[in-house]
Amino acid sequence: MLIEIKDIYKIYNEGRESEVRALNGVSLSIDRGEFVAIVGQSGSGKSTLMNVLGCLDIPTYGDYWLDGVDVTGLSDRQLAHIRNKQIGFIFQGYNLIQELDALENVILPLIYQGVPIWEREDRAMEALARVGMDDRAHHRPSEMSGGQQQRVAIARAIATHPSIIMADEPTGALDSKTGQHVLEILRELYRGGTTVILITHDNGIAATARRVVRLSDGMVISDDAQEVDWE
Amino acid sequence: MNTLQAFKMAFKSISAKKMRSFLTMLGIIIGVASVVILVSIIQGQNKKNLEYLESQGTNTLSVSAYKWSGGDISQDLYNYCLGLSDLVVGVTPKIQVYNEMTVRYSTNTMSTNDSWETAAQVVLGSDQYGLCNNYTLKSGRDLSYLDVARYSNVCVLGGGAAERLFNYVDPVGRSITINGSPYLVIGVYEKKNVDGWPEMDNLILLPYTLNRTLNDNQTISEYSVKAVSASAADEAAVRLQGYLTALIPESSGYAYIQNNNANMASMDALLNSQSLVLIGIAAISLLVGGIGIMNIMLVTVTERTREIGIRKAIGAERRSIIAQFLIEAAVICGIGGIFGIIVGYMGTLIAAKMLLDMIMMPGTAITIGAFLFSVVLGILFGMYPAIKASGLQPVEALRAE
Ligand SMILES: Nc1ncnc2c1ncn2[C@@H]1O[C@H](COP(=O)(O)OP(=O)(O)O)[C@@H](O)[C@H]1O
Ligand SMILES: [Mg+2]
Repeated sequence: MLIEIKDIYKIYNEGRESEVRALNGVSLSIDRGEFVAIVGQSGSGKSTLMNVLGCLDIPTYGDYWLDGVDVTGLSDRQLAHIRNKQIGFIFQGYNLIQELDALENVILPLIYQGVPIWEREDRAMEALARVGMDDRAHHRPSEMSGGQQQRVAIARAIATHPSIIMADEPTGALDSKTGQHVLEILRELYRGGTTVILITHDNGIAATARRVVRLSDGMVISDDAQEVDWE
Repeated sequence: MNTLQAFKMAFKSISAKKMRSFLTMLGIIIGVASVVILVSIIQGQNKKNLEYLESQGTNTLSVSAYKWSGGDISQDLYNYCLGLSDLVVGVTPKIQVYNEMTVRYSTNTMSTNDSWETAAQVVLGSDQYGLCNNYTLKSGRDLSYLDVARYSNVCVLGGGAAERLFNYVDPVGRSITINGSPYLVIGVYEKKNVDGWPEMDNLILLPYTLNRTLNDNQTISEYSVKAVSASAADEAAVRLQGYLTALIPESSGYAYIQNNNANMASMDALLNSQSLVLIGIAAISLLVGGIGIMNIMLVTVTERTREIGIRKAIGAERRSIIAQFLIEAAVICGIGGIFGIIVGYMGTLIAAKMLLDMIMMPGTAITIGAFLFSVVLGILFGMYPAIKASGLQPVEALRAE
């Protein structure tokens, strides 16, 4: 198993009146090379789950093995390395750094990875080319449309060749045509062997995934495999 | 590491908020500039004093001695110094003539009443005056014992006076007039060229025995004594003090000896204590600047929480975040330091001209020191905001607006 979580809880304000159980005992296994959609209504705990899976957040209780490693015992620094090398994030709000142009944004994870300076630009350009944004390398985020920004964000996520892509509502801020384009890029990555975890509240989008995990009130209520037509 | 990228980022965020960056730097600019100016001026003043003392020659004693009655002690002092010949190499009266004197050669004149840089310094001394006061002969000859004994109407010119009166003619063998009376120029001294003390080269030295005719027989009370070495100067000072105290009982005059070597040493000590006061001023003014930096860096960290979250999400370690904000603080302070140094240079030029009448620039040490100190200040005061930034949890930081 690439990803294995057991009885994960994320509880805010535990024991107080305002207690929120964003994750209420979630267990889940994801294999290398899967395309998984995590669906649920707003507030069901999807983002919280992705943050835990992506080592951005630490669960209140529960176990997590990533590629056989017990993540719950890792240091800040080791978690940073995992986020850098094994996981690529795509967010609904793109999360590009405004002061940097597209190329500089894509280079950033390569810098943190310690890629030598003479290789960085080539590798970043290669990632931009894969999402069709190499002609916008020197545009700043404010000079690009939402769809273009999201493609740059995808380029940033794949620049380090991570084994897992985690996308939290990547099409949420896009019109359906550009959304389709972004989804197509994710499918392309999946075909290349990357594990893709796609988070969405849109059942239509979920219907295009091989495997659909449904969340409600912080719990998994279904986990089904289905046939898809695009493979 | 991402040092280069952190520098780029630092310049970007500084230039994105130029006014704020400038106001932040202002504290550093003012602090650095005032320190540079103060240190330079004090160093300049001390240098000027030291140069003066050095130009007087090492191992010299300044003797002030006078007996109310019974004539001057010049001959007594001279005889006593002859007896100290293993310690003392020269002794001379040093009488500055303050009466108005007009010195003339052809159409060129100098007066004792001119402004201080150009005024003729008419001085009466012995054949050992040049030796005791660190003048070296450039051409001709020095005063001789016979010139003194015979009240000869001869003079030796300082390099500046020779230039002013004679332009490029060789003065030796020609006559000048002082208040109309002729004096033969027998020699010219090399210029000393001491910054701030041009009057030393405007010397017109005459045999001290002319005191009667030229200077209304003014009292002779100032002498210079030249010793063979520093230790000889100390020894001679003690002996002379003993001799003069015996010669001039307390109620009948005074005798005071000053060792110029000791003066130089105390000048050094003064420099050190002044530097200490300055370090205090520097510390306070730069502390204020540093707190300004810390404040603005805390604001910056808050404003850029989301950026920090993004960086963490894509794999930045704590130390990368710390380095980024430390570099930014150091760059702001370094730029502030450079501006401060520029202002300090201009201020030093102006202040030195006004206060010391010198053209001077801050030294290399203070310049480099001021810059490095600014950078270190940025790192010190940027530390807390940087550590704060690096400790943010990625999810929390990403949630920020
Ligand atoms: N920092 C927080 N403090 C308190 N409650 C939170 C916090 N973050 C998320 N929650 C709550 O946890 C629940 C799940 O949130 P989230 O994972 O963002 O849902 P989704 O992404 O499915 O819309 C929500 O009820 C939300 O209000
Ligand atoms: Mg969400």
